[in-house]
Amino acid sequence: MNVAVSSAGRRWLWLTFWVLVLFLYAPLVILLVFSFNDRELVSFPWEGFTTRWYQTFLRNSEILESLQISVVVAAITAVLTTVLAIPASIALVRRQFLAKGLVSGVMLAPLVIPLVALGTALLILFNTIGIPFSPLTIAIGHIVIALPFAILTLVPRLERIPAALEEASRDLGAGWYTTFRQITFPLMLPAIFSAFLLSFVISFDEVVIASFVSGDQVTFPVYLYSQLRLPRQLPQVIAVAVVILFISAVVVIASEVLRRVTDRNLEADTAVHDQEEVSVA
Amino acid sequence: MATEATTDDHPRVTASRPRRSGKWRVTSGLLATPLVWLILFFVVPVVLVGLYSVGALTLLRNDVFLSMEKWRFFFTSDTYVSLFWKSVRMSLGVSITSVLLAYPIAYLLALIAGRRKYTLLLVIIVPFLTSYLLRVLAWRVILGEQGVVNSFLETVGLVDQPVEWLFYSQFAIYAVLAYVWVPFVALPIFVSLESLDEHLLEASSDLGASRLYTFRTVTLPLSIPGVVAGFIFVFIPTIGEYITPQLVGGPGGFMFGSAIQSQFTMGLNWQFGSAMAMFLIFAVAVLLAIFGRFLNVRSVAE
Repeated sequence: MNVAVSSAGRRWLWLTFWVLVLFLYAPLVILLVFSFNDRELVSFPWEGFTTRWYQTFLRNSEILESLQISVVVAAITAVLTTVLAIPASIALVRRQFLAKGLVSGVMLAPLVIPLVALGTALLILFNTIGIPFSPLTIAIGHIVIALPFAILTLVPRLERIPAALEEASRDLGAGWYTTFRQITFPLMLPAIFSAFLLSFVISFDEVVIASFVSGDQVTFPVYLYSQLRLPRQLPQVIAVAVVILFISAVVVIASEVLRRVTDRNLEADTAVHDQEEVSVA
Repeated sequence: MATEATTDDHPRVTASRPRRSGKWRVTSGLLATPLVWLILFFVVPVVLVGLYSVGALTLLRNDVFLSMEKWRFFFTSDTYVSLFWKSVRMSLGVSITSVLLAYPIAYLLALIAGRRKYTLLLVIIVPFLTSYLLRVLAWRVILGEQGVVNSFLETVGLVDQPVEWLFYSQFAIYAVLAYVWVPFVALPIFVSLESLDEHLLEASSDLGASRLYTFRTVTLPLSIPGVVAGFIFVFIPTIGEYITPQLVGGPGGFMFGSAIQSQFTMGLNWQFGSAMAMFLIFAVAVLLAIFGRFLNVRSVAE
């Protein structure tokens, strides 16, 4: 007998699960289908198959420019966030220091600040010190909100890497930099890759902070948000949306599969390592 | 194991003394850049908003100098305070809906689905990791006045006029926000249920408890940390939310976040916008002080 659920309950739960999956995916499928509908309005009736919305957006310089700016902002965000998150997570996992609770609190606090408040705060900051808005000011804000997510991606991985490996390296005479480059970094690499992708995705999708601190050059989400009031543009905007959703889904799935495979490898390696330690003792 | 720990600990304590200053330098070196970044672009801006809202610094020509005027206006105006409570109600409704939808899914995946659970969890999570704005856009396309649902109903002749409660309604706001958050809420609940020792359930059953009784007295209480974490992580960002309500809520979709945002785009009353933003930060801080001890942030990350 299963203690968690009766057989009728099991059927109900599976039904709920698949209804929810339908609820989660149906909008995306509908978006995909209607991006090929030959009609100025995104609605029934079905007027026939067309790829013209895809062709229109590929010629729309405003869309292409905003996409380009989004990619630049997201790339800057991903690189700098990762570079900041690596030392932060090493310090949080491997080091004991004064006021550690306070420090980790500051590092995770951007998780819980409402974005509209952070957008306001950055707008006031940049106006006070006189920095003009640009893609760079957007990236600065995006790094703040991506940093905790990147740290939370790196920390669990780092905890699974036995500190003994680094200590052994130090005992054998390697300096801290050699130890990091030869031991810690390669073992962290899959998580670093995930953190990079996550930061990229967070920035690429972010609209609130971007709309507070962007100048003339707007990112794609800000452009999209401004276009949603004009139904005429909608079909081609939806074509772009389909392309972006497809790419991001592929990237997310690929990185998750990669993370699992490498986690399993690490676990297998450290299991061997533990056994050897026991047999030596 | 125990003897190993003691022999290992002892020399480390003595050896670390001469190197303490060196270790401190390494630690501060590791922490310096991320902390400086967050202090410059997170802590300082929040402090500045607070100072600006009371006129300790001024930026625009019509800003008032050193005055609580904007705060007084906020607390005495019915409009803005009631907008705040409207946002709180929306947040509450959305977080409760999300938890209720996510719980059975997390329960199924953690305790029943067996070996497939991680793959099925990924099926739930993937939509969450794709674009938020584009998924809201999808709903706007589906629920809108000339949207997919209404145009379908009209085409097949079920209705003559667009069904109004589908678009520009509180229903639309709740449905879309719950849709956005369910995968995220399922994660911490899944983690807390998965770490539950299944022997506890067996013991409860062996002692004659029914499934429902076991759920009420064992499973549910042990999964409360996950439920609270999921609840808080939806509740907090949703109080300031204005994008989704504006896109699918129509005139009724004007929220506290919209009020803040409009001070910077249309009203150009930055000081008042800053006072409201600061009030929002205080409100979140109070919530965190109350519920913070339930939060294990890590449960969301993994």
